[in-house]
Amino acid sequence: MTKPTSPATDRNASSAPASLQKRHLLGIEGMSPVEIRSLLDRGSYFADHPTKVTSTALQGKTIVNLFYENSTRTRTSFELAAKRLGGSVLNIAVAGSSVKKGETLLDTATTLNAMHPDILVIRHNCSGAAQLLSQRVDAAVINAGDGRHEHPTQALLDALTIRRRVGRIEGLTVAICGDIANSRVARSNIHLLSTLGAEIRLVCPPTLLPADVEHMGVSVFTDMEDGIANADIVMMLRLQTERMAGTETPSQREYFNLFGLNKDKLMRAAPKALIMHPGPMNRGVEIDSETADDVEKSLIRLQVEMGVAARMACLEAISVRPE
Amino acid sequence: MSITRLYNARLVDPAQSIDSIGYLDIVEGKISALQLGQPAQKDSCTLKIDCKGSVLAPGIVDMRVQSADPGAEHLESLSTLLAAAAKGGITALACLPNTRPVIDEASAIDSLCLRASRIGGPKLYAYGAATKGLSGAEMAELGLMAEAGAVGFTNGATSIANSLTMRRLLSYSSMLDRPFMQHCEDPDLTENGEMNEGETSTRLGLIGMPSEAEVIILNRDLQLLRRLGARYHVAHISTRAAIDAVRRAKAEGLAVTADTAPPYFLLNELAVSTYNTAFKLLPPLRSEDDRQAVIEGLADGTIDAIASDHMPVDRDAKTQPFGPAQPGASGLDTLLALTLTLVHQNHISLARAIEVLSLAPATILDIDGGTLSIGAAANFMVFRPDSSWIVKGAEFTSSSRITPFESHPVQGIVDFTYVNGVQIYPPAPLS
Repeated sequence: MTKPTSPATDRNASSAPASLQKRHLLGIEGMSPVEIRSLLDRGSYFADHPTKVTSTALQGKTIVNLFYENSTRTRTSFELAAKRLGGSVLNIAVAGSSVKKGETLLDTATTLNAMHPDILVIRHNCSGAAQLLSQRVDAAVINAGDGRHEHPTQALLDALTIRRRVGRIEGLTVAICGDIANSRVARSNIHLLSTLGAEIRLVCPPTLLPADVEHMGVSVFTDMEDGIANADIVMMLRLQTERMAGTETPSQREYFNLFGLNKDKLMRAAPKALIMHPGPMNRGVEIDSETADDVEKSLIRLQVEMGVAARMACLEAISVRPE
Repeated sequence: MSITRLYNARLVDPAQSIDSIGYLDIVEGKISALQLGQPAQKDSCTLKIDCKGSVLAPGIVDMRVQSADPGAEHLESLSTLLAAAAKGGITALACLPNTRPVIDEASAIDSLCLRASRIGGPKLYAYGAATKGLSGAEMAELGLMAEAGAVGFTNGATSIANSLTMRRLLSYSSMLDRPFMQHCEDPDLTENGEMNEGETSTRLGLIGMPSEAEVIILNRDLQLLRRLGARYHVAHISTRAAIDAVRRAKAEGLAVTADTAPPYFLLNELAVSTYNTAFKLLPPLRSEDDRQAVIEGLADGTIDAIASDHMPVDRDAKTQPFGPAQPGASGLDTLLALTLTLVHQNHISLARAIEVLSLAPATILDIDGGTLSIGAAANFMVFRPDSSWIVKGAEFTSSSRITPFESHPVQGIVDFTYVNGVQIYPPAPLS
């Protein structure tokens, strides 16, 4: 179908675990460039050795995946990452669990805590949920997405993807396009990419732009062609269909017309521009299939592959951290 | 004839422009003498209390208090509410109609006030719900509630969104000479909102409530008021735009008053940065510029009063992620000390602090209190304005113990609270 993505090996790849200052991984905001780079260096190493047992950091440890929202790629890649590091994984999907019976987040946390897991990976629809959980459990907490706030491992895997394909992040122009207001992926990427020296542009209709976002050191565009002009990376975000029913935007048709990525608009970007999408994609809404599947330009499959490597780096760094 | 005398006190009564050392006598529940200087030794008094180092001022009239009783007595009963108020120097308080059942008819006002008077302590008044069940639609029996003693009408924690309903409510309440108190918030603009909109909400990924939501409703109401001649009161004003609008309306001569609450002059939206739900309030904590505007408004008289905005909230409803957590916090135990912060920071004088806590709300609600005039009911507090303490919710007299001021150092401790000449705080030991 398409030719396999085969990332080049990375000269920065590190054979030693990354080191983190904090016990929990709740967000990119506040992380230092050194910490971020050490995670990327280690992630790169894991990416170089995708099937070998390269670390046994999680041997004898229990990782609980607590997902309050549906997820395929994030949950499975955390699971795979943990297993490759020798850990045992327990997945708790909220559908069918006692959460559906009215148990609160903190009661669930207390219950799980009594089982002494080492790492809790949580996804929740409320901003701040991972932080709240981290205050109430003994385990280290990894935020796998909290509301509209942050999705740190996504930003790390995105950066790892860019670095392995382009070789650097510093000095790149990255256009993040779509539903910025409701996107935790956008926020984590803004923090991470700007910390590593990229120029960030946001492209979206004003109704999907969060207030005062310029204060986060980004420039804002409502014209997509201007926004992606000469960009090195065009990062598309998913737009939920209910936001295109005359609320935030008039219609799917108009949205695709103005803000969907296709070949024509992509012509405005830098000649070697690359396309990213955190998935799952709405083909024909924010991106057309021809562009999404362009093997030369699309990094979407590589992103999924890097997801496991980046999460291995995070899980390992947390588990080897001295208490 | 029994005379109680409090002497050596710094008497502060803005109604009479008094701020001097002197003494006050109580006879039969009323103030019988108010004199500057030292009393003559020979005067025979039943009880003499030396108030050296303390301020004696009219008791606080807390014009916006949420009682959990009736309906959620497990959060706070009427008796702990009144005990906390007494300890806070509050001699009168006005309760919102947001109880279960809603206070939307005369019998509910009778019942609440009667129960409070049986308990004793600060005098309890009630607002009547402006609309039946606080639905915002059908007008409640405002006239009958006014006869039963309603001090004003309000739709509680929501605005009357429908302009025609609002016009009729203002029009009708003008006949009853009671203020209409509006919580100004355009419900469409703040739908699903979690905190004030701005850079902080963007960083935290919380849904923003634009600050214009306050002034939009206020401006609409002011426009209606220009033709109706009703009395209109803005509850917990919190934004610069709304404060500017009130300032202009007052200059224009409209019968508009406004109050605010301590979080809006002491805290701003940055407090939310750790998702601590004690900072989830209604209205939400605003920007630093808005906070400065609230202080300016208090200093220049645009904002008339400070109320506690006391609201008992179930701890479980706060032990949640920020979004679904319930807004509100305790306020009775801290109202005086937090207001005195403005005095200690030289934003307002002590006399002005007493005016906004006592005289102004008593005047707006047209109830007893607010002054130490001879012949007035002896409703006052004695407090040490400089005595410091650390706010600890767990030590509140109120059983509502969630406060956005946890661990804040404050100054101001109440020694005595008197209502109708009777000491209600400290409570008399059981004999």
